[in-house]
Amino acid sequence: MWQRIKEIYAYREMLKNLVSKELRARYKGSILGFFWTFFNPLLMLIVYSFVFSFVMRSGIKNYAMFLFVALLPWNYLSSSILQGAASLVQNASLIKKVYFPREVLPLSVVLANLINYLLSLLILMPALMLFKIRLTWALLAFPLVLLVETVLVASLTLLVSVGNVYFRDLEHITGVFMTAWFFLTPVVYSADTVPPNAKKFFSLNPAAHIIEAYRDIFYEGMWPDWKALLYVGLGCLILFWLSLLAFQRWQKDIAEEI
Amino acid sequence: MVQEISNEIAIEVKDVWKKFRLYHEKTYSLKERIIFWGRSKAEDFWALKGINLTIPKGSTVGLIGRNGSGKSTLLKIISRILYPTRGEVKINGRVSTLLELGAGFHPDFTGRENIFLNASILGLSRKEIKERLDDIIAFSELGDFIDNPVRNYSSGMYMRLGFAVAVHVDPEILLIDEVLAVGDLAFQEKCLAKIKELQKKGTTIILVTHSPKQIQDLCDLAVWLDKGEMKMQGSAIEVAEAYARYVSGKER
Repeated sequence: MWQRIKEIYAYREMLKNLVSKELRARYKGSILGFFWTFFNPLLMLIVYSFVFSFVMRSGIKNYAMFLFVALLPWNYLSSSILQGAASLVQNASLIKKVYFPREVLPLSVVLANLINYLLSLLILMPALMLFKIRLTWALLAFPLVLLVETVLVASLTLLVSVGNVYFRDLEHITGVFMTAWFFLTPVVYSADTVPPNAKKFFSLNPAAHIIEAYRDIFYEGMWPDWKALLYVGLGCLILFWLSLLAFQRWQKDIAEEI
Repeated sequence: MVQEISNEIAIEVKDVWKKFRLYHEKTYSLKERIIFWGRSKAEDFWALKGINLTIPKGSTVGLIGRNGSGKSTLLKIISRILYPTRGEVKINGRVSTLLELGAGFHPDFTGRENIFLNASILGLSRKEIKERLDDIIAFSELGDFIDNPVRNYSSGMYMRLGFAVAVHVDPEILLIDEVLAVGDLAFQEKCLAKIKELQKKGTTIILVTHSPKQIQDLCDLAVWLDKGEMKMQGSAIEVAEAYARYVSGKER
């Protein structure tokens, strides 16, 4: 296992190049090019602010911001998993012709989306100030929350990518599943509105704790629920380990199946 | 998986078997799976049947045989693209595989950007790529085109760049699958010259080919595969002659 991790590390240059390929190639040929990375969240923000300040008034104060701080990390999770699902199948010709640790392909999708998320913070932070939301020391917890989320995202992306090679329907099932998961996670609503008898069920959702933690540190200006974060973090680490093991076992036949 | 083996040996193939499942029609959908449940959907096909092979360091070995004899499968197993169904392969040193030139090139990127991309896919670090960059560009003979997107390249230019990157990986073990048959005559000559240079450096080379002449010209040892079994193994000249006799006998 350590051998495998060392090998993935040895291919970090490939990982880096794939990430930069992903980021640059996405907007290649468009006039605004790389700036789309910023325009996307900016336009999203403008639309939400308009809709929720004038069209659909919400009882939650600064609802656009309430939504935005949760939606950005959710998009990181959901786009990684959805793009990751196709990452091995799309690179079939490469997999059939060259040896490299196959984990590099799904992990490059995760990293590219991670960088996109970090860049969108350059829009989020000024927006928070514009809406006069108090930024506090709690922001220091951000790297930890991000790390926990990344471990979760990487695990699921690895599993979905290799599973999709053997069972192509998985890509489409994942699409439906992500929509359901989105509504089961307090992104558009507050966790407080969940009925008490459903709370137990909701607390089993790791994404709920992670999204709540983001909302705590960016929107509420308070420290996240450490205990919940610790449990989720440990759970995600175990899941990551299992995903690496499963990937290593299943990747052996992918050059034939793909 | 990589275990310690004697320093004199580059590759050891131990009783390797490889099974492929042949689907008559690859059915993925649920409807078809239910309809055809239990009927024979797949047939087993043994592409390799108990191959044993020891390749000493610094030697050049030719794999020869007719189409479907299993030589490419064996090459892919040695390069770890495929895994053996049974048996094991031990490898001593860094492997580079020439199965396809320019694997992973992105059409919108320039030749230079693609050198970095392609070389990193082959396992080089940034520093190693930078050290080799000038040599690669010189070998590819692309000149100013190196800063143009590769989608504007002719197929010859594309292959020259791909080959240039692959041979500059400086592998200890180089696996080549019939890529030498591409390009114009001048380029082929150049590839051969580069391979001879690598031989002098002590690189272990495995070459898959149809041509007995190429075996005689380039190889020390040769292995003749037939329907997944080893038919003959020995000095390049003997095996090449035997194979040539066999082929011409078949034709008559």
